[in-house]
Amino acid sequence: MKKLCAMLIIVALAVLIAAPVLASAAQPLVLSTNELVENSYKWDGKTVSFKGEVLDLMVREDGTWMNLSDGNNTAMGVFVPKGVTMPVISYTEDYRTAGDVVLITGVFHRVCVQHEGETDIHAVSVTVLTRGSVKANPIHPDRVVWFVVLAGLLGLVMWLYYRKPGHETKD
Amino acid sequence: MVIPMVTSLVFREWASALDFAISVILTLLVGYTLALISRTKNTPGLTHAMVIAAGSWLIAMVLSGVPYMLSGHMKSFLDACFDTMSGYTTTGLFLLQDLDHISQGLNMWRHLLTYVGGQGIVVLALTFLIGSTGGAFKIMVGEGKEEKLEPNVRHIAVLIWRISLIYLGVGTVVLGLIAMANGIKPYLAFFHGAYIFMSAWSTGGFAPYSQNMLYYHSSAMEIASMVFFILGSFNFALHYAVWSGNRKEILRNVEIVSFTITVLTTFSLVCLALIQRGVYPNAVALFRRGFFQLISGHTTTGQSNIYARTFVREWGPLGMLATTIAMAIGASAASTGGGFKGLRMGIIVKGIATDIRKLLSPERAVVTGHYHHLRDSVLSEGVVKSAALIVVLYILIYVVGAVVGMAYGYPMADALFESVSAGSNTGLSCGVTQATMPTLMKIVYILEMWMGRLEFLSVFTLFGFIATSFRSMRHGKAAA
Repeated sequence: MKKLCAMLIIVALAVLIAAPVLASAAQPLVLSTNELVENSYKWDGKTVSFKGEVLDLMVREDGTWMNLSDGNNTAMGVFVPKGVTMPVISYTEDYRTAGDVVLITGVFHRVCVQHEGETDIHAVSVTVLTRGSVKANPIHPDRVVWFVVLAGLLGLVMWLYYRKPGHETKD
Repeated sequence: MVIPMVTSLVFREWASALDFAISVILTLLVGYTLALISRTKNTPGLTHAMVIAAGSWLIAMVLSGVPYMLSGHMKSFLDACFDTMSGYTTTGLFLLQDLDHISQGLNMWRHLLTYVGGQGIVVLALTFLIGSTGGAFKIMVGEGKEEKLEPNVRHIAVLIWRISLIYLGVGTVVLGLIAMANGIKPYLAFFHGAYIFMSAWSTGGFAPYSQNMLYYHSSAMEIASMVFFILGSFNFALHYAVWSGNRKEILRNVEIVSFTITVLTTFSLVCLALIQRGVYPNAVALFRRGFFQLISGHTTTGQSNIYARTFVREWGPLGMLATTIAMAIGASAASTGGGFKGLRMGIIVKGIATDIRKLLSPERAVVTGHYHHLRDSVLSEGVVKSAALIVVLYILIYVVGAVVGMAYGYPMADALFESVSAGSNTGLSCGVTQATMPTLMKIVYILEMWMGRLEFLSVFTLFGFIATSFRSMRHGKAAA
């Protein structure tokens, strides 16, 4: 009985250890735009994962284009063909809103034949990780003060300028 | 600044609108203060005019950088100045952080800078070309002094703006409709149309998002933009000739001939490089990416439908070199484009051909060269010499920028590519231009953009004026 219990504990521990490893092996690496562009030949045709904020959605006849921003001035075009389940995207990027953050898994193309040489990812699954939100767009009080002070100074200079229009120097 | 402020108000971007309001007030304050302290009845001389022309670019650069800085998207004020100089000179390189999250107002500002900068240069160039040099230049300086304007120059200046505004209307509608058909939200589509048009027509190269033309995933958008930037890269005197009914000028003009030959040559090199490396799987992909990039570089536009690092990682040294040569040659004189200019290339090549013909002819034979630019002209040694001089100066700034880049450890191909892109006011990047690049490189690129745009003369006059002023001050002190 003791032996059986010990065996069960060992098996349970083995499952607990192996499960995440197997799971991560099934889940492709989450890559960045920089990594994909810098090593485009390495990742060409491979299934990858990509995480980014939705900049915009462009619905076309054969699918939907999503531009995903994954950092400072880096973004990747992801094509979601018709037939792939597209979750509801609540927010796309705007100055006043943060777009939904999505995780996509798909095939990376260094030069996509379907899209005339574009570097893109064709998604096979799209998951919304974080819902976007409306961003605060506050007016800083110090900027208002600056505006008032500068406006006052401008008024003064304009008054001086227009006071004696004929008061010009001649050298 | 009022237009971007209104844009921000329309999109309810209150903080951004206030930034523009502050910038407007500050600009007016500086303007009125300068006008107050330098009020004079004297008419500016040619030297003053050139100093004002070159100096005003620097003042405009600083003041236009204020909204950038207030937006919080710049790492330093130097970076803001870099972006405004890039805009005014229709270059298109940028150091702005997180472009994908800026306000519509700031995006409008970026594109307006490039549009106004482009048209300003055309007016300036044409007044040089058509009016008497000194008088015409003074006209540019003394804007508003209408009684002193030469009728033909004023007429041309007004005509240029009229043509540009007509194209702006047409371009915005065409590109806006394409954007809408491609899935851009209708209320944004026409803003995208206006931005891309202003960028294309001015051969600027900015786009509202960091992916540039890749954002649209649309060949129609690329083709329409390409048509506008090719038109923008043509000499406005040629536009004027064609609008006036002289359509044959397109076929005879030395710049068009020169442009056609250099485009075909450099595109052949690009094709060779891309085919050799097997970059694109078929002719359609090769043409869509290769030709767009090449023609964008040759017209000194800088719009891009590939990633910046693709040049280095995939196109390789030959592809980059061909694009670099195309950028160095650039567009037409009196256009929004930069670089050597097709007119100078045509004149220099014809000058060389004439010299060879002279060598091969009997000593007593009189050999003269001709070129056609709006009219048939005799190729004098002076014309060839001045064209060659400007080309040498361009090469000089390209080399200086490349050497500075190499000194900081960038590979030669990358450093040369980026330097030529800045000096020829193109804006294509292979990844060198970043906010993290050394400060000296930013300053060198700013100077390259400025000198390349003004074609050296007025910049040198400004330097000479400053040197003379210092010398006079020293002599004055010594005399006292």
